[in-house]
Amino acid sequence: MDKLILELKEHIIEQLNLQDLTPADIGDDEPLFVEGLALDSIDALELIVLLQQQYGIKLSKAEDGPKVFASVKTMAEYITANKA
Amino acid sequence: MKIYIRATESISPQLSFGNEGLLADLQVYEANRLSCLEPDYKSLIDPKQIRRMSRVIKMGVASALGCLKKADVEVPDAIITGTAYGCLEDTSSFLTKLVNQNEEMLTPTAFIQSTHNTIGAQIALLLKCHNYNNTYVHRGFSFENALLDAILLLKEQSAENVLVGGVDELTDTSFQILNRFGFFKQAFTNELYNAPSKGSIAGEGASFVLLANQPGNNDNAVLEAVSTFYKPATIEESQEKINRFLLDNDLSPNDIDVVITGRNGDETNDVVYDQLMSGMFRNKTEVCFKHLCGEYPTASSFALWMAASIIKKQKVDKKLIHHGEDVIPQRILIYNHSQGIHHSLMLISGC
Repeated sequence: MDKLILELKEHIIEQLNLQDLTPADIGDDEPLFVEGLALDSIDALELIVLLQQQYGIKLSKAEDGPKVFASVKTMAEYITANKA
Repeated sequence: MKIYIRATESISPQLSFGNEGLLADLQVYEANRLSCLEPDYKSLIDPKQIRRMSRVIKMGVASALGCLKKADVEVPDAIITGTAYGCLEDTSSFLTKLVNQNEEMLTPTAFIQSTHNTIGAQIALLLKCHNYNNTYVHRGFSFENALLDAILLLKEQSAENVLVGGVDELTDTSFQILNRFGFFKQAFTNELYNAPSKGSIAGEGASFVLLANQPGNNDNAVLEAVSTFYKPATIEESQEKINRFLLDNDLSPNDIDVVITGRNGDETNDVVYDQLMSGMFRNKTEVCFKHLCGEYPTASSFALWMAASIIKKQKVDKKLIHHGEDVIPQRILIYNHSQGIHHSLMLISGC
């Protein structure tokens, strides 16, 4: 799980062009939206594409979004649970 | 009604940004491709916003914000941009992804950045400005049409001040394509204007002006008139259009102190300027600008920035004079054409 979390942080930094951040700056449980990284709705779409491109996972239910994208850790858990 | 140029700002291949006009330290390039000297954007633009901005957007936004700051205007009544190529690097990147990924899983940011009106929209977003916002994409008339729209807004009093800019970037791909069309010289020449040959030098830039319909305490100049004409069949037709433009403004060639021409070193391009400067403007001072910023479709925005600076300082830097005497400039005519197709005239005078 730790390896996946680190990898995910690297992908997020690259995909969202968070130039001044390193993986160490993003807490595993830190909120991604509103607080913490303070991402917005465009970033949410970028994260959906990231899941699909990097892990082949489509977010099937839009209502799951807030739970899945709550933090890097919840994203990693979702990937682990849904990866074929 | 007079239109006042309250402030100007430019990011160009010269040290123009943050400086009050031309040009303490002229940058001389030994290349046929000029790139902008860009400021540190992190000190100018909100870091959260900057990560979604490509180079041309940052150039446009920083130039626009700098212009507003100089004008002491927080939110303008209108934002109007002109760009021929738009956000070219992002367009190229988005289209490449579109093909490589079989039109699937395309990210929103690349799309947002690829549209021509992104620069105007980003300026508005940063300023939280919900006023009139428009972008003109009309090749060599893009900046001029943005100016004409601004003048209409100001004259009909729909706005008291309008932020107007011309922005175009040069990318590796666009340089290669335009080079293939023969637009640029194949070898560097330090005699750009004196030994015309085929092609010019490539350039880019982002220049903004803040126009107002009431005088301020520190205006740069007055924008008296703007006009365009399309694809004149002969040089005589161009001369006729210029005469008509001057007459419409109750002027004759004698009333012009300085002519800023769009001379770019291309032997075909420059013939019309040669004839004008040896004909109707034969005793007038000629200033050129494309050795400073290169050739691009909205290069006339750099010329306007330069003209406003010359008028404000009441001095023409000797290094800029291509032909004629040092004069105290009261009225400047800018005559530029893009590829012999899009011709424009701007008249600038003291306040």
